Amino acid sequence: MSGYERDQRFIVGHYQPATLIDLALSRGIDSHRLLRGCEVFYEDLSRGTTRFSQQQFLTLIDNARRLLDADDSAFLFGQRLLPGHYGEASQTLLHARDLYQALEHLCEFHALLSPLLTPRLMLEEHYLHLYWQDACGAGNQAQFLGEACLSAVLAMSRRLVGEHLPWRIQCAWSQPRHIEQYWVYLGEEVRFDAQITLLSLPRQHIHRPLPNAAATPGLVARQACLEQLAALGGGSSFLDLLFDHLHAHIHEPINLDRVAAAFGISPTTFKRKLSKHGTHFQQQLDLVRRHVALYLYQMKGYTNEEVCNYLRFSDTTNFRRSFKRWTGLTPSGLARWFG
Amino acid sequence: MKSLLKLHTLTFVGLAVAANLGLQVYLAFGEVKPWAQINWMDVIGEGGSGLIWLVWLVMLMRSRPAGRVSRLLAVGMACVCFSWWMDVLDEFIRLAPDAVWDNWLETAPMPVGLLLVTFGIYHLHKEQQAINAQMSKREGLFREHLLFDKLTPLGGAQYLRQHVQLALEQAERAQQPLSLVVLDIDDFSAVNLVHGEAEGDHLLQMLAQLLVLNLRQQDVLCRLAGDRFVVVMPNTGETQARWLAQELQQAVAGFAYKTLRHGERLQLRASVAAAMAYDDDVESLLRRVNLGIAKARRQAPQRGAA
Repeated sequence: MSGYERDQRFIVGHYQPATLIDLALSRGIDSHRLLRGCEVFYEDLSRGTTRFSQQQFLTLIDNARRLLDADDSAFLFGQRLLPGHYGEASQTLLHARDLYQALEHLCEFHALLSPLLTPRLMLEEHYLHLYWQDACGAGNQAQFLGEACLSAVLAMSRRLVGEHLPWRIQCAWSQPRHIEQYWVYLGEEVRFDAQITLLSLPRQHIHRPLPNAAATPGLVARQACLEQLAALGGGSSFLDLLFDHLHAHIHEPINLDRVAAAFGISPTTFKRKLSKHGTHFQQQLDLVRRHVALYLYQMKGYTNEEVCNYLRFSDTTNFRRSFKRWTGLTPSGLARWFG
Repeated sequence: MKSLLKLHTLTFVGLAVAANLGLQVYLAFGEVKPWAQINWMDVIGEGGSGLIWLVWLVMLMRSRPAGRVSRLLAVGMACVCFSWWMDVLDEFIRLAPDAVWDNWLETAPMPVGLLLVTFGIYHLHKEQQAINAQMSKREGLFREHLLFDKLTPLGGAQYLRQHVQLALEQAERAQQPLSLVVLDIDDFSAVNLVHGEAEGDHLLQMLAQLLVLNLRQQDVLCRLAGDRFVVVMPNTGETQARWLAQELQQAVAGFAYKTLRHGERLQLRASVAAAMAYDDDVESLLRRVNLGIAKARRQAPQRGAA
């Protein structure tokens, strides 16, 4: 198991990259300047054989942002992203039985539908939550990608269900100057400076039958997507797999050598892969621990001691200090971030 | 916007030909000075001045379509450039002391050129006044081209913020009410979805024109984001603002927009909200009026646009 990496060319050129390219071209941007540094020619895109790596796609995004130079770029891009025109992968969304199944497919086929940020679903008693994991080392494009993913899911739910649903939105960044774009594209229920970028919806909305549901075509499309993922060598990125692995073993003794061994690579290769994605082992470990801690506090109602024990900290003082480092908050000062 | 330089090819070709002719004439009738006799201060001063005029000429022509005012400015500036050029040549080539015509070549184009430029600037001013009149209701108390909206011929959100700030101060000084009206097209995303983004963009541009036509002289229209427009209404109370907002709503409902490709009629509806400034700053006023539109949209759900 290794997962796709930042420099692996697996993103179909006429899927998400073309969505952004078409947006930029419709605003009068020159295609050569747009694709500068992407090592891709515009003429090749229409032939349907071009593949982008995450890195190339990020370069394209950087170019597009700079050339478009407008506050609404991320939102316009996002609106066009889902369900999108990605063949069978889009069919699985369009023919879904209900919104929940569409979101499940979005997560299952994220390599095809959302190749830079990996969406993840979480169900609790009253709410469905959707959040995103960095699958590419997004760096300073993180907020742009976050804005695009949020508007993508909102636009998709609007299109599938046929009306505005009461989504609640939290963003892991501070309120930007272009707050009006959030009002128009995402609605008024947006909070900033959250611990994690998160979409939440009351559960009564997620199982409403959809007008375009089609069971058999949906199944066929799903089968085709599974084959596409198999051809890719699995549907997860290296960072996704690492997150899952750490998450599954978080309450065991964990260190770089063990994880490298579990991935079947040498510690040196492992470190090199991490640094290629702009991160390092401790950062990824802290990310998972932070995630687990927040989950245990908020969803399971764990106490300080219980979380501290679960994460194998020797004493609570030490744990509180680490928690402060991950989140900027003490466990007691943690504002409710779900629901 | 593409550079407009190619519209002025004639001016530049003419200037180049004249400069070359001047050089030929000087070379034919004069003798080249030895290096030691050249006054480099003069060369730098005169050559630099000529060069700067040339730069101005290029910069101005790049931004101007052809026409009377452009022609006046171009010919005038070209004359001045030519005059400086001949001045510089004078430093390198000595002419017979009794030649009078070289004075004419050197000095005469200068006053002619300056007169033409002056005349051109006067007309430029007139032209600007005409453009200002066209810009009324789209631009209020100040101009900043960096804040123009990229899609519609209106100010964007940052322009709106600065304009509201100034309008609030003015309203405070004059003890007059100030109101904002927001207008949002219902289900605009359906237009993009069904007819394509180019159609949506075009519709927004047409809506901007439509809304401008329905405003009073003192109102200013801006595009906040997407399909949401804001009107700043000085000296207007909340009741009056509501009336005006309803008129805008009716104008949108009565707007017989035809699609670009098939000429199909789109039935549009808009939600509106109005808010008067009390103790607000810019952000709270904008937020309040935007919450107003969210409420208006909830009350009028499911009114399709397409």
